[in-house]
Amino acid sequence: MVRAREKKRGLLIAFEGPTGAGTSTQRRLFKVWLEQQGHEVVTSKWISSRAIRPLMKARARLHALSAEELCLLQAADFRHRLETQILPALWQGKTVVADRFLFASLARASARGLDLDWLLFAHAPLFWPDLVFYFSVSPTTSTTRVAAGHAPKFYDAGQDVTNIADPIASYRRFVGRMIKEYESLSLIFQFVTVDGEQPIYEQHRRMRQLFEEQRRQPWGQGNLEAVVEWLAWSPAAAEVRRGASIRG
Amino acid sequence: MARRSAGKGRLIAVEGTRGHDLRDAAAELWQRFEAREVHGGVSSWDASGIFSDLRVEKRKHLSLSPRTLVLLYAADLVFRLRWQIRPALDQGQVIIAAPYVDTAVAFGVAEGLSRSWLTKLFAFAPPPAACYRIKERGKALRSKGKPLDGFVEFCAAILADDVAAAGSVEFRREMLAYLEELDGKNRCPRLTRRVISSQPV
Repeated sequence: MVRAREKKRGLLIAFEGPTGAGTSTQRRLFKVWLEQQGHEVVTSKWISSRAIRPLMKARARLHALSAEELCLLQAADFRHRLETQILPALWQGKTVVADRFLFASLARASARGLDLDWLLFAHAPLFWPDLVFYFSVSPTTSTTRVAAGHAPKFYDAGQDVTNIADPIASYRRFVGRMIKEYESLSLIFQFVTVDGEQPIYEQHRRMRQLFEEQRRQPWGQGNLEAVVEWLAWSPAAAEVRRGASIRG
Repeated sequence: MARRSAGKGRLIAVEGTRGHDLRDAAAELWQRFEAREVHGGVSSWDASGIFSDLRVEKRKHLSLSPRTLVLLYAADLVFRLRWQIRPALDQGQVIIAAPYVDTAVAFGVAEGLSRSWLTKLFAFAPPPAACYRIKERGKALRSKGKPLDGFVEFCAAILADDVAAAGSVEFRREMLAYLEELDGKNRCPRLTRRVISSQPV
């Protein structure tokens, strides 16, 4: 059933990078362009699950989360979004643009000193996007852009690990570690790097080109595991299950 | 993730499928220590309030999968370790964790999640000095309880009706089979009156 869906399924495109890298701006531009190309597009944002986000917000406000709790709640948020937003959309042939995907959690948790192998297990089975755009910026650019807006929140600024009272000063230190982790992940998982310091339209033009050059690959083992698990339990997949049992 | 040692104190895990039974068994076991003026206490499920907070949300947003539920259990356990279990152990106290890791692993196994994933996910939890399982059979297995009675009752209320019914007798039997399997390896014997009265204090 899953293999049969392969040709009809939608594409998952992830936008990754530190705060201030321009992922949200580029995601919006890219979504409009995809829609003009005839794609039906669904957006999924990091830590936006309707069930888990309120839990995280309440606890983050109290600065009450350890690095492990933060990571496990982010993993739960990722799994819930995957199973309730992303997989149903992909199954229906829609294109999903993820404004930060699981790598956002991995880079930040690694920067907090957690072991990458354990982090990968916490997020397993890993669901692989068809394309990961990584917006590369220097720590200075990221900090300058962040400082130009609202002060980053406690965990975004990494104040739980730097113990620096000033959010911008804390972010300046934390983002260096985060970018280092992103660069490692980029090498391991072969992200497509976009120079986030280039003019906005130049980045967008480059992304269109990279997207058009991309060849569609079948889902790998991790993706198949995640889809099979989703089909087995999800109320959203109940119709798919019923259809399969009628045909079977 | 590196497993930290259990410290100077003594961590006792009590595992089972019913929240009420776990609470009663932990209280009975703790009485043995309290009567001899041993310092410490009991660490229960949902100390972080994650599950109580989730219950407040409307059910239509709560289509959580077994894997997500296990991740939330792990987040709650990290909280318990940080604020209840480790501080007690560091002070040389006795702490009874009811439930601890194996209840969640038994739940995951009964739901078809991989044992290796479950084991590695909970690698952060220090091994208990002793682990016991509660005797459960007959009428008790059929009692569904209320969602906030315990982890399995919560999962039974959340998981969709057409998926493995976490509250069913068969499901609880599968969980108990896993705990009995541990007993076979001398890792999680049954908690009996004799076991309670023979606890070193």
